[in-house]
Amino acid sequence: MAEVQNSNPTIINAADLPTRLRPTATRKSEYGGIFTSALPLAPADFESAPSSDSEDDNLMEEPIDEQEIYDLISTISDPEHPISLGELAVVSLPDIAIKPTLPDVPDSPLQTVTVLITPTITHCSLATVIGLGVRVRLEQSLPSRFRMDVRIKEGTHSTGDEVNKQLADKERVAAALENGALMGVIAKMMETCR
Amino acid sequence: MSPKVAITHLSDLTPPSQERTWLTAPHPTLPIVATCSSDKTIRVYSLTNFTLLSTITGGHKRSVRTAAWKPHMAGESVLATGSFDATVGIWRRWDSYGQEDKTRADSLTATPSDTGTETPDREEDEEEWRFAVLLDGHDSEVKSVSWSASGMLLATCSRDKSIWIWEDLDDGDNNFETVAVMQEHGGDVKCVSWHPSEECLASASYDDTIRLWREDLDDWGQVACIKGHEGTVWFIDWEGEESENWNGPTSDSDSISESDLGALQAQWHSQTALSGPRLISCSDDRTVRVWRRQPKESQQNGALSSATTGIPSIIRPTGTDEIWEEDAVLPHAHELPVYAVAWSKRTGLVASTGADGRIALYEEQFVTREQEQQGDSDAMDTTSGDVLRTKWVLVGVQDGAHGIYEINHVAWAKRADRGSGGEEVLVSTADDGSVKVWTVTR
Repeated sequence: MAEVQNSNPTIINAADLPTRLRPTATRKSEYGGIFTSALPLAPADFESAPSSDSEDDNLMEEPIDEQEIYDLISTISDPEHPISLGELAVVSLPDIAIKPTLPDVPDSPLQTVTVLITPTITHCSLATVIGLGVRVRLEQSLPSRFRMDVRIKEGTHSTGDEVNKQLADKERVAAALENGALMGVIAKMMETCR
Repeated sequence: MSPKVAITHLSDLTPPSQERTWLTAPHPTLPIVATCSSDKTIRVYSLTNFTLLSTITGGHKRSVRTAAWKPHMAGESVLATGSFDATVGIWRRWDSYGQEDKTRADSLTATPSDTGTETPDREEDEEEWRFAVLLDGHDSEVKSVSWSASGMLLATCSRDKSIWIWEDLDDGDNNFETVAVMQEHGGDVKCVSWHPSEECLASASYDDTIRLWREDLDDWGQVACIKGHEGTVWFIDWEGEESENWNGPTSDSDSISESDLGALQAQWHSQTALSGPRLISCSDDRTVRVWRRQPKESQQNGALSSATTGIPSIIRPTGTDEIWEEDAVLPHAHELPVYAVAWSKRTGLVASTGADGRIALYEEQFVTREQEQQGDSDAMDTTSGDVLRTKWVLVGVQDGAHGIYEINHVAWAKRADRGSGGEEVLVSTADDGSVKVWTVTR
């Protein structure tokens, strides 16, 4: 990281980032338009859901939606800028999806979280580190019933397939977690996470 | 799918590791297994009462990924372990687990017989695992280790893309000599596995290939490169060689009588004898595949015909090259990467498991004439009438075998919790540290 690869990245104003915390006009324009049908779970469903359904529901695990995934990973810092992945649009809400892992087993609790990453420049060698940071953040934050599928968005990186294969390799990810130097970089990226 | 085989939970191995466990290796003769854990230890459990016997600590600085028992040891057990710390450990222990069990059982049933074979002073010194030697050579994580059938050779492989073959000099001083280093793979070598009787090694890799290696005039070299999987090949296992226990494929129902089945199996063996044992592999591409070596005879014919097509013979300069063909793709059973496959040497059943937390069981069955005619006869008629055909059938599925957790490994072991003749159990190893033992019954 001696040389900054993208010295002038495009940054999104923090106020324009999707959030659950400000459910006002910004949100409506965010979700009310053409994206509504594209989103597997509309956040509005969760808001309108009766919160006091029954005592049993309180014991249940709280449902996790795309916004929550976004909140977990958008605050991770870019390894070479003190700017968050959300502000750099490396991660964005429409590029996050949650789907049942085993659609043919209706009562299976397994769910797959797919996160598509858009590197700031197409040859960024830090794409793997960013992807690893996202995967580690999700693995450490989400219950074990979630399977992670963190990939480079198609066509946004020159060696996307290679990076994707590494990110999907459980053994490599596990070994990386035991690599002190690499985990130092990841830990620094996560200092900005709430 | 016809679920004709029941997978039933027999017991957990307790207490479990608190961290991810990668693999459980059943001992070749004793009723014990070794489980590799991310907590840097190896746990030795009893298959007799499913409890922890020993924890091997202090050797590895990172996750223990793999382990294999040296075969043909008498009176002493030797375990090779591979770790993310790039080293391979060799551990030794005088066999006494069985005797301890016997003593305990005898005292429980209050039948004082000749239990005095073990002297008390020996227990103190030799009860625990002795660290013998650390094999140093790989540049990064060791992924798999395998002993050859004779126990003379140990193969190890790593993310550094290399395979090392070590010879156990058996000189009483724990010396190992590097016999060969093979670096042809284009990515992490995920698994190595020796042929059940010959000195032929198979390897599986992140480069999506399976390769076979033999020694020719003192040089170890690649004799085949099998392409077919569309993702990392995670694990490979060999078919058992014909034995008193296993006779070959079976029939799916009443359509074939016992004696007819015997005749079919005899024909099957003469038909397949030239190919030798097959290989089975599982991959990130969600498939499990079987591979068969072309018999040398027809391989030469192939070479001849290629010569007539004008391809220079220089391409195949020696007679060591082998041609391996895809024999079958097993029925689809996994939605996520398949991390392990195990081919029972006793029953011929195949078990596979992976990130979807599912254990699948497959059986190879003869295709009867009627089925052949019903099916797409065009495809079937490519070979002459008397060649036996088989199909693989999904005969059992256990969903969520370790709850929500991914399963990293599955292995067949001899059942030991009760005196049943030759019955097998499945041992599965998962991300939460749990190891489960299953019975498989028809």
